[in-house]
Amino acid sequence: MTGIDEGQLISKIAQGDEQAFLTIYDRYAGRVHGLTLHMLGDSMLAEEATQDTFFKLWSRARDYLAERGPFLPWLLTIARRVALDRLRLEARRPVLSDSNDPETVWQTIPDHATVTEESRWRSLYFAVRALHPDQRKVIELAYYQGLSQSEIAEVLGWPLGTVKTRLRAGMEKLRGTWKEI
Amino acid sequence: MTPDQHTPFLDDIPAYALGALDAEESAALEAHLATCASCRTELAEYRSLSESLLTAVPPKNPPAALRRRLQNRLPGAQKPVRPRWNWSFANMAMGTALALLLAMNVYSIVQVRSLQAVQTQLSRQYRTGQTILSMLSYPATQRLAINADKVVGSLLLDRDRNIVALIVWNMPQLQEDKTYQVWLVDPGGDRVSAGIFRPEGDQPYTTQIFWPQQSISNFVGIGVTVEPAGGSKQPTGARVFKVDF
Repeated sequence: MTGIDEGQLISKIAQGDEQAFLTIYDRYAGRVHGLTLHMLGDSMLAEEATQDTFFKLWSRARDYLAERGPFLPWLLTIARRVALDRLRLEARRPVLSDSNDPETVWQTIPDHATVTEESRWRSLYFAVRALHPDQRKVIELAYYQGLSQSEIAEVLGWPLGTVKTRLRAGMEKLRGTWKEI
Repeated sequence: MTPDQHTPFLDDIPAYALGALDAEESAALEAHLATCASCRTELAEYRSLSESLLTAVPPKNPPAALRRRLQNRLPGAQKPVRPRWNWSFANMAMGTALALLLAMNVYSIVQVRSLQAVQTQLSRQYRTGQTILSMLSYPATQRLAINADKVVGSLLLDRDRNIVALIVWNMPQLQEDKTYQVWLVDPGGDRVSAGIFRPEGDQPYTTQIFWPQQSISNFVGIGVTVEPAGGSKQPTGARVFKVDF
């Protein structure tokens, strides 16, 4: 089933095709689990969030509309919401460290997306890592930990204005890079 | 709208695209976005960026066990399960209580039936005793002696009421498949059955009452034989005793 178009696979999942579901799992489990682990910082919680994400895919596949955008960002949006819900449920402290080694991880996990897309995502990842650490920190806390700017100011002990400035500056840099790659 | 009016909203758009604005700031920006096409374009670019941030996280394969767990929870893996007894303590206690209740009921029924049998036997013995007493006190009752080796006693004949009573001591014990049968002997020597009996209880004597269908005046004597259980049409077994009227 690996040769079947992604849109067809999603349609089959919507009709209860378990083999299509497992094909999509094999294709994207690494991406979902990478995101949930990055957000939750705990392998057991990340596994649960990954599992929940795919169960939501199983039950909501019919909600995906190909004309609105590619499948993977849609799936990862679900994964992010699941992970954020788990963060709120666990009332966990923000995860600030990033233990993943990008060089090895990117190279050992095959990606079935197009080469162009993958290279753009990889470039964006390195662009994030190239940000000033303070800018990267506020973006990470906002997007991957679900904190508002006020909450970030409280967590880091920075003035709210400083948080806003660093977040805005970091995002402007990333946008510039995103347009170029 | 002047650039100065745009500036505070433009500054908030990157944070809004990340979901990091507080509620009040979000509401104000959304109101502005509704009327400002350039800010909507700006937001679309930042949203595209934030969406891409999801894919910019290094992948990491989950353990193989996660796939198996997921697969096992799919509908195809859900085999129909036969209902199983859950032997919890409460269920076992309930089961034991029910079994005990059932056993007590069975025991009670057996006891009641046993008591009823005893009551029937005592009632019959009482009536027999009363009948014999009344016969003994009745002037016309004929009393004849029974004397055959160890078997002794009395035979009472009440010809007016056509009753025959036996009061016999030392009747031999019978096997389970045997019974005593009483025969009335007519002048021609023929025997007519008057009934069967087995000695009851552990007393050395037995008392039996018979109401023959024919008048006892038609007969000249009475005899008792051992017959198969249920009785016989004619005497077939050993005679225990015989009394002539």
